[in-house]
Amino acid sequence: MRRIFWGWLILFFFLLVSLFVALGTGPVKISILALSPRDQTILLHLRLPRALSSFFVGAGLALSGAIFQGLFRNPLADSYLLGISSGASLGAAAALILGFTSPVAMFTGVSFFSFLGSLLALSLVFYFGSREGSFSVFRLLLSGLGVGLFFSSLVAILMIMAEEELKALIFFFMGGFSSSTWDSAWVAVTLVPASLAIALCYSRELNVLLLGEETAQSSGVNTRFIQVTYALVAAFLTSISVSVAGLIGFVGLIVPHVVRMIFGADHRILLPFTFLAGGTFLILCDTIAKAVLAPSELPVGVVTSLFGAPFFLYLLRRERGEYGL
Amino acid sequence: MEKSAALQVDHVSFAYENERVLKNVGFSLRHGEFMALIGPNGSGKTTLLKVILGMLSPQEGGVWLDGNPVLAYPPKERARRMAYVSQQPFLAFPLTVEELVSLGRYPYAPRFGRGAGEAKAIEDALRLTDSFSLRGRKFTTLSGGERQKVLISRALAQTLHLLLFDEPTVHLDLYFQLQILETLKRLCTEEGATVVAVLHDPNQVSLFADKVLLLRSGEATAFGSVEEVMNEGRMRSAFGVEVSAIRDAKSEAIYFIPRRPQS
Repeated sequence: MRRIFWGWLILFFFLLVSLFVALGTGPVKISILALSPRDQTILLHLRLPRALSSFFVGAGLALSGAIFQGLFRNPLADSYLLGISSGASLGAAAALILGFTSPVAMFTGVSFFSFLGSLLALSLVFYFGSREGSFSVFRLLLSGLGVGLFFSSLVAILMIMAEEELKALIFFFMGGFSSSTWDSAWVAVTLVPASLAIALCYSRELNVLLLGEETAQSSGVNTRFIQVTYALVAAFLTSISVSVAGLIGFVGLIVPHVVRMIFGADHRILLPFTFLAGGTFLILCDTIAKAVLAPSELPVGVVTSLFGAPFFLYLLRRERGEYGL
Repeated sequence: MEKSAALQVDHVSFAYENERVLKNVGFSLRHGEFMALIGPNGSGKTTLLKVILGMLSPQEGGVWLDGNPVLAYPPKERARRMAYVSQQPFLAFPLTVEELVSLGRYPYAPRFGRGAGEAKAIEDALRLTDSFSLRGRKFTTLSGGERQKVLISRALAQTLHLLLFDEPTVHLDLYFQLQILETLKRLCTEEGATVVAVLHDPNQVSLFADKVLLLRSGEATAFGSVEEVMNEGRMRSAFGVEVSAIRDAKSEAIYFIPRRPQS
C-alpha cells in the first residue's frame, strides 16, 4: 500500500513538472509567471491544447494497451498487433480523402470514421479468430496480425490514389501534436477520461479473467459481456488517439509493462497508473520532440521509442522471472 | 429428486452440434463425498464438469445443486456454492499469491473496495492448503506443486461447498500429488465439502475416492465405490489395458498394476 501511495505522489509530481515544462517550451519564449496578452494567447490557444492532447492521447494509448494485454492474457497484445490501429487509420484516411472533416454528431469526422474503422477491424479479428463460438487467445492474435496487414495495405493503396491529399495524409500518419488545437483536443480531453471510468468499473472482472475464461465463468463473471465491453473501450481509445495524433507506437505496448513491473498486475491499480504514466510520458516526449531540433520538430513516435525503449529494456533485464515468460 | 443430495446429475445428454458427447449420464453425491471421475481421453469428463458448472446446458436431463436446478441460480449465487479448478492456466502477469486467492472472493465483493471479511477468507483459504507462508510471493515464481495449492486456495476462498477439479495432480511430483489429494480428502471429511475430481491414476482413485464414476464414450459405464466400479475386466474394456488388481494386506487398499501391452 505504501508503494502505491508513493507511486501516486511521484507520478503526480512528474505530471506537474512535465506540464509546466511543456507549457514553457516552444519557438516563442514566454514567461509563465508574467504573461503578456500575446503570451496568454500562445499559452491558452496553442500550448495548453497541445499539452492536454498529448497527455490524454498518451493516457488513452497506454490504457488501451493495458486492456488488450489483460483481455488477451498476452504481453504482446496491443492495438497495433491486433490490427485495430490499422482499422482506425483506414477510417481516418478514408475520411480525409473523402473530405469528411466536418463535425458529425459529437465527433469530428475523422474521429468518427476512425472509430468505424477500428470497429470493423475488431469485428473481423473476432470473426476470423473465433471457432464454434469460442475464442483462443493465439488464434485472435494471429487473426489480428492478418487483419492489420490487410488494412495497412489498403491504407497504402489509398495514399497512392490520393493526389491532392497525399501531403495531408503523410503528415497525419507521421503522428504528432504540432497542429493540435482545442478542436482536436477536446475529443481526447472528454472521451479518454470517460473510457477510463468505464474500464475501472469492471477491473475486478478483468482480474478474474486473467485465470482464463472458464475459471472466470465459474466465479460468476459474465465473461462475454466483459470481453465485448473492454474490446469496445480499447478500440474506442485507439481510434481517438489515431484521429487526434496519427500513429504513435510504443506507448500502448510498453507503458503497461513498465507499470506492471513496478506496481504489479492488479488491474484496479494498473489501469489508473498506466493512464497517468502514459499521459505523462507522452507530454515529456512531445516536449522533447519540439525542443531538440527547434524550430523544426522530430516526430513524437521517434522520441517515444528512443527514450522509452532503453528504460524498458533495462527493466526487462532486471526482471526476476516474475513475468512467467 | 433426492433432497439430501449435494449434487445430482439426472439423465444428462449433451451434444456439440451433431456430436453426442454425453449420453444419459446420472449420479448423485451426498455432502462430504469425494468422487473421482475417470475414463479414457475424450470420454466426456471435462464436458460433464462444464455441464455441472452450468457453462453448458444439456439437451436432455438436468443438474441439481442442493435440490435446485443449477441453471436456476444467478451466476454469482451459483459461484458461492460451487467452485472450479481447471488445469493450470498460463499466467503471464505477476500477480501475488494473495491477489490471486482474492479473485475467489469475486462473487461476494462489492464493485469497489474490499468486501467484508475478505482478508479473513483469504487467510483461511491459504491455511487450508498450508500455503499461508507463500502469500507475499509472486505466483509465477512458485513451483508447480505450490502453484496448484494456491489455485486450490482460490477456489476455497470462493466456496467450500462443492468443488470441481480437472486433473488436479497433472504434472506434479509424487509428493505433491499425494499432498494435493490429501488436502482435498481433508476438505471432505473436516469441512464437509463435496469434491468431484477428474483423475487418471487408478491408485490415486483407490486411495482417496469414496465414489467413482467411469465414463466411456459419453456413457456412465459404472458408478459406485472403488470396489464396485474398478475391477480388472472393467479397466480392460474401458482403457484397453491389462491391469492386475492387488489388495494390500496391511491397508486393505486395492492397487492396480498395469501390464505392458502385448504386441
